[in-house]
Amino acid sequence: MSNPRVRIRNVQHDRVNFVLEGVDIGFANSLRRVVMADIPTVAIDIVEIETNTTVLADEFIAHRLGMIPLISTNCDEGMRYTRDCTCLSNCKYCSVVLYLDVSCQEGGTMDITSDHLQVVGYNSGYRFTSGPAYSDPASDGGEELSKRGDGFGNPVGKDDDSVPPVLITKIRKGQGLKLKCVARKGIAKEHAKWSPCSAVSFEYDPHNKLRHTSYWFESDERAEWPLSENAKEEEPPRDDMPFDFNAKPEKFYFEVETTGALSPKEVIMKVTTNSG
Amino acid sequence: MNAINRYELFVLEDGEKPVEIIEDTKIPNAVTIKIFKQDHTLASMVRSELLATPCVLFAGYKVPHPLEPAFVLKIQTDGSQPPVQVLENVCTSLIATFSKLADQFKREFSARELDIQVEEDPYGPVGTNSTSGAGVWGAGNRRDYLDF
Ligand SMILES: [Zn+2]
Repeated sequence: MSNPRVRIRNVQHDRVNFVLEGVDIGFANSLRRVVMADIPTVAIDIVEIETNTTVLADEFIAHRLGMIPLISTNCDEGMRYTRDCTCLSNCKYCSVVLYLDVSCQEGGTMDITSDHLQVVGYNSGYRFTSGPAYSDPASDGGEELSKRGDGFGNPVGKDDDSVPPVLITKIRKGQGLKLKCVARKGIAKEHAKWSPCSAVSFEYDPHNKLRHTSYWFESDERAEWPLSENAKEEEPPRDDMPFDFNAKPEKFYFEVETTGALSPKEVIMKVTTNSG
Repeated sequence: MNAINRYELFVLEDGEKPVEIIEDTKIPNAVTIKIFKQDHTLASMVRSELLATPCVLFAGYKVPHPLEPAFVLKIQTDGSQPPVQVLENVCTSLIATFSKLADQFKREFSARELDIQVEEDPYGPVGTNSTSGAGVWGAGNRRDYLDF
């Protein structure tokens, strides 16, 4: 059994940078893969378009909507997968419904952004089309709803001026977009839009002592391949040092950057407590 | 319409066995194990832990076909322990490693919790035009390269 050691170098609201030691490379790489593709979040999965007079095609907009990060705090426990739910298509336990209804009346260009998406409760009586008001489809009640965090299902950064919204499309006078989205729980193995991470950097052996890679160079390898910041953490090799063919990578440098759907802390804690 | 559900890539079907054990008849103390609905994430981790076990002579895995969500793991031991037993031990030890890792992260995060609050303006300047305070996406200033 290995004894992992972790040192966090930096935490911010959307990223965490840490050094992992005491495990082998297979373990470290699996940790990277789990962070990227095994943590459930909510993302728009079904889009019903009522009006689209924008310049973009329906499927183009549907795809863009899917990529918008939605707040997914405690999604793992706060929501069911639709495939495990007792409902027929979707219900409040396995989905979040969002509406968007924007039209441009004045001259000039108008942006439709993720800020225009509005989460609507299942029993709010909101009318999408001329049909009956939306009501809760039959499904068994559960604890899920109470476990969800604040603003669950809302686009990340909505009602926060310091966070730029995601641009969906631009419209001019007379154009409009009206649609309904069903957001569901999923993981990034199904579609990358469910990944809680926008980038995960992973590095080991910054001096290439283990020769796991060979650098292409014009004339001077050292000058053309500047060392990364992580190289400061390790002893640089002496030029007369013989190659140690038994050496193994020992320190792994991670930076996990999230989309905002989950906090970096939640992502890391979910990985380490659930993957067993 | 006839597409299979995307989640069938990683969710076991009703009644589907997660593992299939095929004893090797030609090599002593060897076994081939097929693990369904799992990929390199589990396979590579298990293999590297097996290779770190002294009684293991051989451990390797392959994904026989990229469209079939399963991998095959081959283990040979020196005979001091049956390969299936070794695999079981390795899995238990991996789970233990993960819980140790969780403790490490928990401690590090709680030590770091304050740093987040001290940090000024976590989002940094938004866009290039931050003189108005709200940045390019703030109300009133929504010009970009297409609006000239
Ligand atoms: Zn449901």
